[in-house]
Amino acid sequence: MTPSATALLLLLLPLGGALLTALFLRRRGEAAAWLSVGVAGVLLLLGLGLIFSGERFDRSVEWLRFGEFSLSLGFLFDDLAALMLFVVVFVGFWIHLFSLGYMKGDPHKARFFGGLSLFMFAMIGMTLADDLIMLFIFWELVGLSSYLLINFYFHKPAAVAASKKAFIVNRIGDFGFLLGIIWAYWAFGSINLNEIAVIIGEKPETIATGIALLLFCGAVGKSGQIPLHVWLPDAMEGPTPVSALIHAATMVAAGIYLLCRVSVVMTTEAATVILWIGVATAVYAGFCAIAQRDIKKILAYSTISQLGFMVAAFGLGTRLALADGGSITLGMVTAGAAAAMFHLTTHAFFKALLFLGAGSIIHACHHEQDIFKMGGLARSTPLTFITFTIGVLALIGMPFLAGFFSKDAILYLAWQVSPVAFYLLVLGALLTAFYMSRLWAVAFFGAPRSDGAKHAHENGPVMVVPLIVLALFSIVAGYDALYPEAFAAVMAAIPHPSGADKTLIVGVSVAVLVVGVLSALLFYRPGAAEDALERKARPVHRFLAARLWFDDVYNWYVAKVQQRLALVLSYLELVFISGLLVRGLAGFSGLLGLGLRSLHTGNLNAYLYWILIGLVLLWGLTIGLASGS
Amino acid sequence: MMLPAIILLPLLAGLVAWLAGRWSATAPRWIALAGTAVPLALTATFWGRPAEGRWIAAFGFDWIPAAGISFFLALDGLSLLLVLLTFFLGVLAVGVAWRQTDHRPGFFFFNLLWILSGTAGVFLALDLFLFFFFWELMVLPMYFVIGIWGHEHRTRAAIKFFLFTQAGGFILLLAILGLHFSHAAETGLHTFLYEDLLGGALPAGTAWWLMLGFFFAFAVKLPAFPFHTWLPDAHTEAPTAGSLILAGILLKTGGYGLLRFVVPLFPEAAAAFAPVALVLGAVGILYGAKLAFAQSDLKRLVAYTSVSHMGFVVVGVFAWNTWALQGVVVTMICHGLSTGALFILAGSLQERLHTRDLGRMGGFQVLAPRMTAFALFFAMASLGLPGLGNFVGEFLILLGGFQISIPVTVAAALGLVGATVYSLWIIQRAFHGTPAKGATLADVNFREAAILGALVLGLLGLGLYPRPVLDAAEPAVRWLEADAARPVPVVLAVEPPPHPPLP
Repeated sequence: MTPSATALLLLLLPLGGALLTALFLRRRGEAAAWLSVGVAGVLLLLGLGLIFSGERFDRSVEWLRFGEFSLSLGFLFDDLAALMLFVVVFVGFWIHLFSLGYMKGDPHKARFFGGLSLFMFAMIGMTLADDLIMLFIFWELVGLSSYLLINFYFHKPAAVAASKKAFIVNRIGDFGFLLGIIWAYWAFGSINLNEIAVIIGEKPETIATGIALLLFCGAVGKSGQIPLHVWLPDAMEGPTPVSALIHAATMVAAGIYLLCRVSVVMTTEAATVILWIGVATAVYAGFCAIAQRDIKKILAYSTISQLGFMVAAFGLGTRLALADGGSITLGMVTAGAAAAMFHLTTHAFFKALLFLGAGSIIHACHHEQDIFKMGGLARSTPLTFITFTIGVLALIGMPFLAGFFSKDAILYLAWQVSPVAFYLLVLGALLTAFYMSRLWAVAFFGAPRSDGAKHAHENGPVMVVPLIVLALFSIVAGYDALYPEAFAAVMAAIPHPSGADKTLIVGVSVAVLVVGVLSALLFYRPGAAEDALERKARPVHRFLAARLWFDDVYNWYVAKVQQRLALVLSYLELVFISGLLVRGLAGFSGLLGLGLRSLHTGNLNAYLYWILIGLVLLWGLTIGLASGS
Repeated sequence: MMLPAIILLPLLAGLVAWLAGRWSATAPRWIALAGTAVPLALTATFWGRPAEGRWIAAFGFDWIPAAGISFFLALDGLSLLLVLLTFFLGVLAVGVAWRQTDHRPGFFFFNLLWILSGTAGVFLALDLFLFFFFWELMVLPMYFVIGIWGHEHRTRAAIKFFLFTQAGGFILLLAILGLHFSHAAETGLHTFLYEDLLGGALPAGTAWWLMLGFFFAFAVKLPAFPFHTWLPDAHTEAPTAGSLILAGILLKTGGYGLLRFVVPLFPEAAAAFAPVALVLGAVGILYGAKLAFAQSDLKRLVAYTSVSHMGFVVVGVFAWNTWALQGVVVTMICHGLSTGALFILAGSLQERLHTRDLGRMGGFQVLAPRMTAFALFFAMASLGLPGLGNFVGEFLILLGGFQISIPVTVAAALGLVGATVYSLWIIQRAFHGTPAKGATLADVNFREAAILGALVLGLLGLGLYPRPVLDAAEPAVRWLEADAARPVPVVLAVEPPPHPPLP
């Protein structure tokens, strides 16, 4: 099988699975589940085969053409795509497996697994896309599958509202993305990534900046950056495996992947904007996470914060690459893109692990999600506890675990480019250590504080094995030397501090880790039944819980501005346009009709006769006029 | 002889159906089915046939020679696609009305077939007088359909529909006559023939007023903002098959008129008018989306989404470059399919629930999962999800529009966000949530599933592989462009002309 045929198969298998489920297996949940997991397994094998075959290719077919205009769809498979594909099929498979246990007994399982397969189709398509329009097509399909899975529990109004919000907020980002694509077409005469890379050098910097920032809008929406981050915490209404796969490990990271894909259009100005949005998001979401009680919401804000780190890494590295007259050429993976992708990869492992761990806990505690109502889980669910702890340690940057290395690469970039960004990202790391320690200490220790937690017990192997595998990867994924040759282009570009810089970065990150963990443990006390911050410093807690009022402002804007505007316009339409204009027209025709009033019999037939007579007269007049001339 | 047959067959079938309706309630359905399916098949035989010169096929004879009126029908790629759409939706409309029409079925199918005949005539007539004849032929049967088989306020809606379109028709007649006489005054040639009238050197002032007349007539039919207010009423009150025909086909005659007549006949005047029209189009897109969101009546809501989508057609026509024009063709077809489908769904809900009020719906996903799947599909088409036809059309219009006016394109693209809001709103209100206690709702039956399935396939086909349609339309678009060869209007242009795309 040729490599591009394998790629096509990778794309069509999950689509076939989803279609099969939708058409024939809707009432056969068990069969649908096994089909979906089977497909995910085959995808993993095929994907690994493709990645490690060493084949890299770019192949496209013409999709539409008229005149000299043509659009192609095709695959671009380079090391960057290979790494992303690895994350998608690998994490995807383990989450599919976990779902078998998690969704056991759900009567609508078929819909769930069909949605997962649809998601795999869209995500793989996006990963392999070789031009902007194909990227956009699958980008939107990813959004559709996310929508369908968030409202999986469609009887819950919150889930339905969350899915709608997610779709709309993403569409706002995509509005910019689409305009960026269109502008790129007019500016470069092509939307093929390779062709753009060739032309870009001849174009004025301002055009590239505009296009880069418009494309970045898409990433802001999908990757939950300020100010479009509001949908991601709400999206936790979906089943937990969905949160793990889509809203933590893969889809939300698609924005980062998009940025790396379009590296060539970046300019210093664009990179600066991207960098600061990333930094702001990283710090902001860290603060938000502190005041949350719902385990999934804490993890969601943590995801937003980590995505901020990745976006910042991309901006920082791009600035660095463009400094002193440097340029980004075709196929080049900048230090920024490499650091971002590296963190994306490690994050995918440990955040998927954390979400699955959270799912395992929630499942064990009979759907209790409030960490202050858990407790004692270290004893009742030991395997989940151990793996979750590994995930926490990897996330907060414990030396020698995955997150340590990828975060240090980002901090090192910041250190080289902007001290302010460096200190802010260090603050972000401190917050991460703080809120994760809080979550860990409160949920797992002390006495069980709810009926659900009292009766918690470890889940079966289908759910535990994925945890163990992901925990292993959360330990080892930080050693770039362990990555096979297949990802060389990305791995080689990861920045590593050395000498004095190394001492500084490692010193700072260890110090931050220790301070964050200790302060959280001292402040919250393991097994606490209530939030110490809420008790001791209510205004601070309230401020943090308000999350800078983003949601309130948006809700106000939608309800008070947009909805009112719609109602007012609707009313005006009724009164003015329909009322006056139509009455006016009616009056006018009444005059024309001479005494139409007397004909107002209310009888439809009478109207029709008059209309017919009118038409005949009109025709007579016309023909008379025409032949008379 | 094929072209007149395409128009005459439904006309005759309509008469036969009416007569047959006196003796049998079922015979008219079958006659109507044949009366739409046979012309569809006849039209399809033109598919892929190369054009000789401008037309793939033409037919003509002198009709009223003294007045320069001839009976001239011709078919190019644009007409072919629209006539195919007409009869495709016509077959589906017969299917939709199969059991819905118990009251005077013969006369109902007579009207349906006459509308289709008139529409096909509009798309084929290239003598302006003949065009006007067909233009009027469509209106009256539609008036009957709304007025007799409509819902609660049918009479008012029918009269409103009639007044608006007749006002448009009256202005159109004046404009056609004006064109005829001023062309005669300039050239001494008394003609209504489209090709003779093209490129006529009219005085600028005359051309301006005539162009406005044509524009008004077509803008009312389309409908473009602010001439749209007849549409929500007509749609809300029309029976399902009527809404399908109205949204799917009748509105397209407005878009067709803009494409075929307004710009090619009056290129300079249209260019001068383009900034106004572009703004009207963009406003229509946003206004329609906004108003859709304020509706609680499902059919009314869908009607406003039509206003929004037709705004794209206005923008595309007045952007007038290859991308935008191809986009207009695709958008017109896809809007016919997707909005038609939404009306069918609204109709099936009304048939089952006897209400169109979204406030009284909810949780239907539990009761009718298949209907939900269809609704979700068409909602996605309507919001422009890539992979479905509407996206192709709207993307091409935005792409073309960007060259002409960035602000208008940005506003139009914002309409895609608005479309997301109203489309998801329908799904949220009607299908998500928990059903009311004791609520029942029969899922789509085989007949409905077949009709909706045909529309699903159409939209998927156009979304995944639009090339056949674009190829079919391309020569026609080239001719239109050549007729209206004119510089890009500089009023709103920001970008330089396009960089030649790479090979």
